[in-house]
Amino acid sequence: MLASQEDNHSGRPTIIVRGAEESPVAVRYIEAVLDSTWHALGLAETKIRIAVVIELAQPRNVANRPTPPERAAYLAPDSTDRTTCIALLPAGPYWTRYLLGKREAPDAWFGGFAQWLQAGLGPCAFYAAYGTPGKPVRRWLAARNWDVALFLGSRGIAGERFSSLDLLGDSRYSWYWDQVYSFRPATVACLAGRSSGCRAAVLDGADAASPAAGPQIVRSERRWWRGQRLLPGERYLSDVAREVGRERFQGFWASSLPVDTALAAALKQPIGEWTEQWERRFIAPIRLGAAAPWGVTAVALLLGAVAVLAVMLTASRRQVR
Amino acid sequence: MRPQNLSATLVVLVIGAAIPRPAVSQNRWEREVQRQLQRAVNAVTTNARRSPLFTKTGPLNEEEAETFLVTLERGVTYSILGVCDNDCSRLQLLLATQSNELAIDRNSETLPVLRFTPSATTVYRIRVVMEGCRWNPCWYAVAVVPVGKNPP
Repeated sequence: MLASQEDNHSGRPTIIVRGAEESPVAVRYIEAVLDSTWHALGLAETKIRIAVVIELAQPRNVANRPTPPERAAYLAPDSTDRTTCIALLPAGPYWTRYLLGKREAPDAWFGGFAQWLQAGLGPCAFYAAYGTPGKPVRRWLAARNWDVALFLGSRGIAGERFSSLDLLGDSRYSWYWDQVYSFRPATVACLAGRSSGCRAAVLDGADAASPAAGPQIVRSERRWWRGQRLLPGERYLSDVAREVGRERFQGFWASSLPVDTALAAALKQPIGEWTEQWERRFIAPIRLGAAAPWGVTAVALLLGAVAVLAVMLTASRRQVR
Repeated sequence: MRPQNLSATLVVLVIGAAIPRPAVSQNRWEREVQRQLQRAVNAVTTNARRSPLFTKTGPLNEEEAETFLVTLERGVTYSILGVCDNDCSRLQLLLATQSNELAIDRNSETLPVLRFTPSATTVYRIRVVMEGCRWNPCWYAVAVVPVGKNPP
């Protein structure tokens, strides 16, 4: 296990690299990338420190290798330490080989390693930027596994134009609709441009009870985008923060008021309306209910007209004796 | 829980417990409240030049509280001072015995002060409540300073 030297006054995260092979070069490289990320996020010394643990994949030939964690996990402050948030990032074989200098990774690949690292900060980035949320916001985010605060940044979780909506694919295909209708009704209603649905999708979990006492761990799911209650929820609070400005977002984040009141005050607009407009930036409203294509409708009408004409013609030639 | 999830949970918890914490004043907020506390202590002990009987510094989220036990001597007048960082908007100090509240300062916002002369030497409770904090957690510092001895 290798760790970076912590500089207490820079606020830079502590980096710990765990793996079978020790690579001080990799640690220094991660430090440099994280420094850039830290500055890009506008962070300096923060009230909540971050420790990033990068778990390198074990070589295949290691006997009795332990089962590595598949997905990132986050230990919230107040779990073991009041002021430290820990991000555990399994590097997987691809980034492990890259960090150990055994492969090249083009920057264009999902934004490259810097983008992967920034996305990996997850909820810890929010803790660093805005501190520990007030109780109502903490309960709300815990109830929905932080799905609206998975990513802090302006570019999207995996590159400039990418969002979880892109994973739905093309609406011309039936599997797109299978996925759409696997979401909660409020999520689908919001996709259809209904502001009441957007409000319900955002406030889902806002009336949840406090999480059980003990360590608070946020685990990202294997296919996290399938369980989202708002699409593309991973960037929702990041976009809110950027739009309303630091002071108003900080007021919402630390507020002891209910989430709906605090968020509406920060947005200076009803939550449903703001969210519906926000969603339009990423997707045009989907059409709900039965909607036959124009061509099929025209053919059906034509066939109907032909049938009526045939009946009329038959009836006109019919002789009653 | 799936084995991978359990593994991730255990790794995070073990590492969380193992990460070394710096032992001395670490961040600017903690340094800030320590400076403020020193100034406040100097202000109440201008002539006496006494050192605090007890000091404590720490972070609290809004609506959280911390309680300390301290033994105060009969007939000695104490100033109990609280300060908090610039993100804090309201700090409350309360002095109590095991069963009764003796003194409370709710009105001084970020610099609550209590002055108290015990009628008996015993263990007292000092409770500090972070009533308002714009950026959690907010750092606070508390000091108990003997400022003079009154005849019983």
